[in-house]
Amino acid sequence: MSDVRIEDLSYFHAKGTPYEIKALDEIALHIREGKITGIIGHTGSGKSTLVQMFNGILKPHSGRVLLAGEDIWKKPKDIRKVRFKVGLVMQYPEYQLFEETVYKDIAFGPKNMGLKDDEIDACVKEAAEFSDLSEELFDKSPFDLSGGQKRRVAIAGIIAMRPDILVLDEPAAGLDPRGRTAIFQNIVDYQKKSGRTVVIVSHSMEDMAKYCDDLVVMSEGKILLCGECREVFSHAEILESVGLDVPQATKLLLALKSRGFDVDCGALTVDEALEQIKKLYHN
Amino acid sequence: MSGISFGQYYPARSLLHRLDPRIKIILTLLYIICSFMCKNIISYALLLFSAIILVIIGRVPVRIILKGLKGVLFILLFTAVLNIFWTTGDSLLWQWKFISIYAEGLYAALFIMIRISVLIIGTGMLLTYTTTPIALTNAIEDLLSPLKKLHVPVHSFAMMMTIALRFIPTLSEECERIMTAQKARGADFSSGGLIQRAKALIPVLIPLFVSAFNRAGDLATAMECRCYNGGEGRTRMNVRHLRFVDFIPLIVIIAFGAGLITLNILGIGYTA
Repeated sequence: MSDVRIEDLSYFHAKGTPYEIKALDEIALHIREGKITGIIGHTGSGKSTLVQMFNGILKPHSGRVLLAGEDIWKKPKDIRKVRFKVGLVMQYPEYQLFEETVYKDIAFGPKNMGLKDDEIDACVKEAAEFSDLSEELFDKSPFDLSGGQKRRVAIAGIIAMRPDILVLDEPAAGLDPRGRTAIFQNIVDYQKKSGRTVVIVSHSMEDMAKYCDDLVVMSEGKILLCGECREVFSHAEILESVGLDVPQATKLLLALKSRGFDVDCGALTVDEALEQIKKLYHN
Repeated sequence: MSGISFGQYYPARSLLHRLDPRIKIILTLLYIICSFMCKNIISYALLLFSAIILVIIGRVPVRIILKGLKGVLFILLFTAVLNIFWTTGDSLLWQWKFISIYAEGLYAALFIMIRISVLIIGTGMLLTYTTTPIALTNAIEDLLSPLKKLHVPVHSFAMMMTIALRFIPTLSEECERIMTAQKARGADFSSGGLIQRAKALIPVLIPLFVSAFNRAGDLATAMECRCYNGGEGRTRMNVRHLRFVDFIPLIVIIAFGAGLITLNILGIGYTA
């Protein structure tokens, strides 16, 4: 069991100062085990703050975070253990690289866990494989790599801790389209192979529709919608009311429907939409 | 990390905020000299009084001033304790085994505490709280401009300072981000001995330096793209002209200094 349940969680930025802002407003949420959950919302909607609750980087001002049914703040001294169970890849993670070699950098997390050398070695090799990094890169300096490779090394550094739950904050930000697809495909493959829980934060509806099972839509520190992808995207009007887009394929189908065509608007990807349109055409 | 408030600009409308920054720098220097001319209890009282007046004129909330003083609280107490226990004199007040406290020690402790606090409040009120960092560096550049004749690169120094000030908040934000990222990888900054803690900072400092260097490179390119080539022939958007009223504070502080010297000569009150 390694699901995350969040109960009535609230969090304030700059609490106790005149600049106090309510970043999260009584959030209740369940992240299903073994699924890919997408968290989506505008800049400032609280999504990054929310994922920093999962591994105890931030402490909620009220409410609880339950990891596999247990309150992570029950023993505040053991919060580091939670960080090994919930691996958080921050935004632009390549800025955290610091070691002399790629190998040592990936090994930083496992080393902090206090593993033995041969275990660390196994973790590093496994993580590198998941992140599509060849072993030839191990002895290189992380600073000599390309942007996309750096990002992979940074993600591998988290995967190497073998977390039950992998949380990625905007994993594809700033990458070109090919890099984006590659990173997301890696994440999906990782999830399939390991069967672990994955949470992705993004503001790209398109990507989320393609890769996620569940979706959480956030707006102004509150959860607007949550559920399975199809279900969420069927509420196009709510999404548009807060300025979020539905995937273009869904948009097209919605437009068709509004003109009286009989289509299923649950289609999310271009291929699925194509099927629907083909069906229409043949009818 | 976000609690660095010491010496930060406090936006308000006051006489001190409006005063020409060049005058403010000269005033600060004179004020520091004045604080070191105090020799007896009356002059220290006057000094403390002048600092209070500055706070009132500058319209900076007392809460912010106290926060600034909190940063040096340790130094204040440390010097005070040193002075109390290590100053010897004629009038012994209290003795226990090898510890002896003299009245001179108490006075010395009081004086040093007043002096340090006034220095901090005074320079804060005259400069950092009431002057934006950019105005400050411009003023320093102006005041040092005679040195250009001696081929001192005054403009470059001022530009370096401006840039350094500009990037303090950026770097502190970045530092916080990297610390969070390393914490997520199980880095531990809050336990262990001194050496262990210093070692724990390596994963923060290296990425911070790398990104600072990258930023510096980018900034240099951006500046060159806008044809920046040093101070030669560069003009300012806002040019400040000195008027007669700007000199009044100088007259006041010189009078204040003269008053302190007179007090010293007359030797009124307890003298340290």
